[in-house]
Amino acid sequence: MTTPIDLIAHPDVLALELQATSGVEAIRALHARLGAVGGAVTDAPRFLADLVERAAMASVCIAADIAVPHARTGAVGRMVLAVGRSTQDVAFDPEHPGVRLVFLIGTPRAAVADYLKLVAGLARLLKKPGVRAGLLAAKTEAEFLARLARGAESKR
Amino acid sequence: MRAVTDPAELLLRRLMRLLRWRLWVQEKLQPTEWQVTLLWAALAGFLGALSSILFTGLAEGVHDLFGYSGNGVGVVESMRQLPWWGCLLVPALGGMCAGLVLLLGKHIAPGQSSTDYMEVIAIGNGHVPMRASLVKSAAALFSIGSGGSIGREGPMVQLAAVLASFIGRWRQFTPPQLRLIVACGAAAGIASAYNAPIAGSFFVAEIILGTIAMESLGPLAVSAVVATLTVRVLTAAHVLYRVPAFHLNSPLEMGPYVVLGLLTGVLAPLFLRSLRQAEGFFVGLKLPLVARLTLGGLAVGAIAINVPQVAGNGYSVVVQILNGGLVWKVLLGIAACKWLATMASFGSGAPGGVFTPSLFMGASAGYLFGLAVHAVWPAAAQDPRAFALVGMGAFLSAASRAPVMAVIMLFEMTLSYDIILPLMLCSVIAYYTARGLDTRSLYSESLKTKAAAAESLAPFSTETRVADLMRVKPPVVGETARFAEIARLFLNVRVNNLYVVDAAGRFKGVVSLHDIKPYLGEPDLAELVLARDILHEDFPRVAPEQPLAEALGGFLGIAAERLPVVEPDGTLRGSLSKGDLLLALVEKRKKPVAA
Repeated sequence: MTTPIDLIAHPDVLALELQATSGVEAIRALHARLGAVGGAVTDAPRFLADLVERAAMASVCIAADIAVPHARTGAVGRMVLAVGRSTQDVAFDPEHPGVRLVFLIGTPRAAVADYLKLVAGLARLLKKPGVRAGLLAAKTEAEFLARLARGAESKR
Repeated sequence: MRAVTDPAELLLRRLMRLLRWRLWVQEKLQPTEWQVTLLWAALAGFLGALSSILFTGLAEGVHDLFGYSGNGVGVVESMRQLPWWGCLLVPALGGMCAGLVLLLGKHIAPGQSSTDYMEVIAIGNGHVPMRASLVKSAAALFSIGSGGSIGREGPMVQLAAVLASFIGRWRQFTPPQLRLIVACGAAAGIASAYNAPIAGSFFVAEIILGTIAMESLGPLAVSAVVATLTVRVLTAAHVLYRVPAFHLNSPLEMGPYVVLGLLTGVLAPLFLRSLRQAEGFFVGLKLPLVARLTLGGLAVGAIAINVPQVAGNGYSVVVQILNGGLVWKVLLGIAACKWLATMASFGSGAPGGVFTPSLFMGASAGYLFGLAVHAVWPAAAQDPRAFALVGMGAFLSAASRAPVMAVIMLFEMTLSYDIILPLMLCSVIAYYTARGLDTRSLYSESLKTKAAAAESLAPFSTETRVADLMRVKPPVVGETARFAEIARLFLNVRVNNLYVVDAAGRFKGVVSLHDIKPYLGEPDLAELVLARDILHEDFPRVAPEQPLAEALGGFLGIAAERLPVVEPDGTLRGSLSKGDLLLALVEKRKKPVAA
């Protein structure tokens, strides 16, 4: 079984050229990519609705340029993570108009502990010196993933 | 590493760190609901002991006030020193004062009729009315201090129960908890009065609660131990009856003990019946309360002119009997007069108890029987005083219908273990004999009457539902409450699961302390995570109308101490504590002693 930390090192989806100007657009784009991952999302429309509803309820940003839209939902069969990087500012909410990194999470309803582990793991990783800048500067998917993996591994 | 300079973030980080440490400390030190109950039981025991000491002191003060010689001289000795008219006057005056206090009490505490702690524990809601109990205890001071043939354990237990009830109401205990804490007060009262913590616990467990389940016996024991310790520290408490070492000299002695069991088993119901008849007689006189109590005192005084030993609860005479200081003819006379005097005091309505007078009757019966056997067949009753001791236990067992308590109490009051074999046998035989002759015990009458009244009034005694035990207004959070807010609430309330409700008050699920504990050091989660993100929607719940046995099923398979009580439409009504539920189920397995 994939642990939350493994998932950070090996996300289901990685989109380095995320095309979005708003939070909802970013969510839709990553959600669409996740839909293509076989078996992970069991009810795509519902999953999207849950993500959007949650983002509308309260800010999902953990830094000025990082958003973690998430939903605990019955629409996923397992925990999923999609990572997106935008070259332009994505306005998630009025207080976070310049988001560049988006980590979209979907967790089954019963997986409360895993959800917290994943979110906390991501937050810790992105607070590490150089990680955020490294992710923003990564030239290739492999480099991006390697930085993610290094950060995730060092925290174990 | 980048240094955090934003003051708001710094503050948040510090707060979360503080919360994490506080939660850690709280979790390590956090007592369970049962442990908290034990703490309150200990407080009830302490206060019960203080009230008993105070009552004893006041009774002695009243004793001096009535012109007795004082200086620690007992009631019997004081009565002996009085002239004939003094013997008549003092108990009559005491009865009159007791009556006046009770009369005054009707104005001070109107409508507070159910003042007996036993009723409150067995069939009531645990609420012992303060003013009515104080009035009753104040009246008892006069009947006891003036030499009435009545025990003081009744008011002492009552006072201890009142204080315990006060604690329970102050802490807003649920009815089962409140009844338990009042029971703890009663156990403390008995333990203080007789320097007998085990008997104190078993008295309440066996007679009033009707169960010796650990859920209730544990707090009772703690309360009784604390009460006894307090009395021992603050006063010169000692073994109540110092007796010579008794030995079972021959197995042949068991034969007469069996007969003594049968004898006390017959005598005890007769004694109780005579008390009830005396009560009926005094009521039949249709005298005003004050006159009735004065008449009762006068009757005791009239007997005490020639037989001063009838005054008081009989303790000093029992000590004399146990030390073989009385010849049979004298004792026979004293016992007969004491019986009449107790009928006069009890029958006239003098507030007090008949516990110690029962011990007196048992000691007299046992000693007289032992002397008779010794005269006919010395080998079968080498020491008649041992028969007195066993007679006390057997009579108490037959009168109170609590043989376990009787055996333990006798052992604790005398610390004479050698007598345990005949004591156990005799107490059990007396118990069965008495039960076969009369279904009523020392404590059954009032309980029976009140039980009938309670049945018609309170649904609690018939089919208890979850709603009857539910604690209202449980701590809740909204679905959008943030992680930091949830953590703060966990610190302020002692629960392991916080209930989450929507804007309309409908139950959505719980947030578990277990889930969030590892992340209290994560300031980034403080604003990111909402209650709805970490909600357990499938948490078991119970309905207000569910019967208790069914509700117990909700606790199966989870470690929760409480379950949410949710209406069929989803509205959260309160929470149900597993402790309350178990207590109520234990209580439900028995009915009041009278039933």
